[in-house]
Amino acid sequence: MDPYLYLDRDSIVHRLDPRTKITLMLASFVLGLLFMHPAWSLLALGVVLIHGAISRSLSNLKRIWFILFMLSTMGTVLWALFSKGATPFIGPIKLEAFLFGLGSAIRIDTFIIAGMIFLSTTRNEEMVLGMVRMGVPYRLCFAFSTALRLVPTITSTAYTISQAQRSRGLDLDSGNAIQRFRKNIPLVVPTFLSTIRSTNVFAMALDAKGFGARPKRTSYLRIGLHAADFVFLVIMVILLAAGIALWAMHFGRIPGLVKF
Amino acid sequence: MELAIDIHDLSYRYRGQKRQALQGINLQVQRGDFIVVMGPSEAGKSTLSECLNGLVPHFFRGKFRGQVIVLGRNTREHSVAEMAEHVGLVFQDFESQLFSTNVSLEVAFGPENFAVPWEEIDVRVKRTLALVGLTGMENRTPASLSGGQKQKLAIASVLAMEPSILCMDEPTTDLDPISKLGIFAIADELRRNQEMTLIIVEHETEEALKAQRIVLMKEGTILRDGPATEVLREVDLMEEIGVQPLQVPLFFKRCGARDLPLTVEDGVEAFQRRGWRIDEAAVEALRRQDAQRAQTYGDVLIKVQDLTHQYPGRVDALRGVDLEIRRGEFLAVVGQNGSGKTTLVKHFNGLLEPTGGAVLVDGQDTREQGVYKLGQRVAYVFQNPDHQIFSQTVYDEVAFSPRIRNLPEAEVKERVKEALEAVGLVGMEQEDPFSLTKGGRERVAVASVLSARPDIIILDEPTTGLDYAEQRSMMELVSRLNQQGHTIIFVTHSMWVVAEYAHRVVVMKDGHVLLQGLTREVFAEEEKLRQTFLQPPQIVSLSNQLGHTLLSVPEMVQCTRMEG
Repeated sequence: MDPYLYLDRDSIVHRLDPRTKITLMLASFVLGLLFMHPAWSLLALGVVLIHGAISRSLSNLKRIWFILFMLSTMGTVLWALFSKGATPFIGPIKLEAFLFGLGSAIRIDTFIIAGMIFLSTTRNEEMVLGMVRMGVPYRLCFAFSTALRLVPTITSTAYTISQAQRSRGLDLDSGNAIQRFRKNIPLVVPTFLSTIRSTNVFAMALDAKGFGARPKRTSYLRIGLHAADFVFLVIMVILLAAGIALWAMHFGRIPGLVKF
Repeated sequence: MELAIDIHDLSYRYRGQKRQALQGINLQVQRGDFIVVMGPSEAGKSTLSECLNGLVPHFFRGKFRGQVIVLGRNTREHSVAEMAEHVGLVFQDFESQLFSTNVSLEVAFGPENFAVPWEEIDVRVKRTLALVGLTGMENRTPASLSGGQKQKLAIASVLAMEPSILCMDEPTTDLDPISKLGIFAIADELRRNQEMTLIIVEHETEEALKAQRIVLMKEGTILRDGPATEVLREVDLMEEIGVQPLQVPLFFKRCGARDLPLTVEDGVEAFQRRGWRIDEAAVEALRRQDAQRAQTYGDVLIKVQDLTHQYPGRVDALRGVDLEIRRGEFLAVVGQNGSGKTTLVKHFNGLLEPTGGAVLVDGQDTREQGVYKLGQRVAYVFQNPDHQIFSQTVYDEVAFSPRIRNLPEAEVKERVKEALEAVGLVGMEQEDPFSLTKGGRERVAVASVLSARPDIIILDEPTTGLDYAEQRSMMELVSRLNQQGHTIIFVTHSMWVVAEYAHRVVVMKDGHVLLQGLTREVFAEEEKLRQTFLQPPQIVSLSNQLGHTLLSVPEMVQCTRMEG
């Protein structure tokens, strides 16, 4: 089981400078935020999906579809229930509220997918190097990337531990909510302790490999802005400018909606 | 010439511990020396390694006395990062020291920190990966490598910093026997070509033959420090302190010889020169015993039929395995790193389901039974006891399995008592399992599956991370469980454990069964074993070269005739 989202593929997006990829991700967030109406947010989602297709990273959707599905269903229902509008739709839900719920769900999915594309196309080390070149201190960048790295490490430890406990008869799927919660103790305690122990070795290994020995370090990974970066950045600026212009012209809003 | 390492009166006690981790250590190491540090658990070997690059006293808190001078630098006055340029340290826990997203970046990390120019890093990455045999894996994620490959990567990532002193703390625990020797060969080559000073902490004695000097430690002190060829002949002392002695000199010592050969070749030569011979009748008696034992097994418990397993998106981990395991067997599954050993045995308790073929336990398909149901009959002890211990007392940990199956508390109590008796932990019921040694925690893990009263017990690498004495007592325990009627299946890299304890051996290679048979038959096929990176223990090789397969030093002594 490979716990990383990163896909080692040779797409044009993979070859972009990490600074470009970071900027593209941030721009996707802005684009996703602009419009409330689902038809318009769908448009933003479409742009992100095209970016994903070019980067050949949409296969990772298989790994996160459940999260996307749950968040959008729950999101649609909750926002629809708690917002108000004028036009009757289904029962207590008004049409405007429903549209807002749906639009918000699409927005959340857009953010997550943009993040997924970034992580699928950018190595941890690239991200660090990109942030360093953008002026963020190295130690801070490394801490950030370590936090990201910890997630898959914990996942794989937890997986081994759950196999060990299932072998001993732990059955996580039966019982009521409280019983199920209690059943997680045999998983949580060893995972927690193993993580602390390995984090300690990790810290020692960092020291032993000369982390912070010189004020400046070199990088084996080489990055640089090339023609493709400028093409992507120009397209991004155009899309973003168009989006903001349309937003300023009041497109993509839901008239009559009262948010909670 | 300036010494590489100069240690004076070093004592160290970790904060919060009563015991001295190191006490009165004096050690001088010349540049270009190759030293192996041996000793039982808690001897202070790891602490000594961590003194060399300053992790002790800078990283750990504790009471430090004395002086450690490495290449003219007092470790107290230099930071770990500064020392790291000169002293490379490979840790025992190799998983946790890998943190990059691909193999070449992992190797580049150290040189990057020392601001080595790109071109030079590139040269070093290629060279060190070639040296450890990982060329072609540059773009793999470390997480996708096998245990042995990860260990090699951890070594490469330190070598790339080109330290003058390289210290490796048990660098070969997860490697198959031939890869183990490979690491020692690499180390030796580095020392010769680049005048690197080498310090290897190890408890496998056969590898230590390559060293110039051996330092024997116990309870924080140095017991012996001398040429390898001298220390390795002190077989009684080694056995006494819980370090495995070399089998060839041990055999000659047991036969009353004065000058002790160390290698198999020298052993054969000495054996013949002395006019000793192997008693055919005695060997025949051993063979008969093997055959008789095989007659006592019961009906077929596990039947593997044309089993194939494929992990998503990868090549077949198992292809076309056929196997039968009978009640009462004591079976070892061996093979090179990544040959499919663990994948195979995880099918027996339903943790993995076949992607092709079938596994029947008691005549019923494992797919129909599931882990929960199978778990009552087939117990699985994982490699790392820390992956399953969670309770605050030994009692609760062992009681987990019967309690989760809703047995009455009286029955639970009965079973815990029985399980703790079996593993020798009676009286420890109220102890915190985390306060025990690795060997103790391993016992708790075994007891915690015994309390389910399983027929079959699967153990994944039951001796890894234990010292010789602990390994012996662990295997004695497993042996007793077998005599009490449990069917035992264990996965291991440790060939002497297989030779001395297993009744039957299955040798895996690239996902299929290469060889299976009684232990004696399998070890007779030395050439075939080598093809799959396995090497019989010294004594087995010695006896093979003398025309018969004997599995342990006592067997060899028993079958040797010394008179005319």
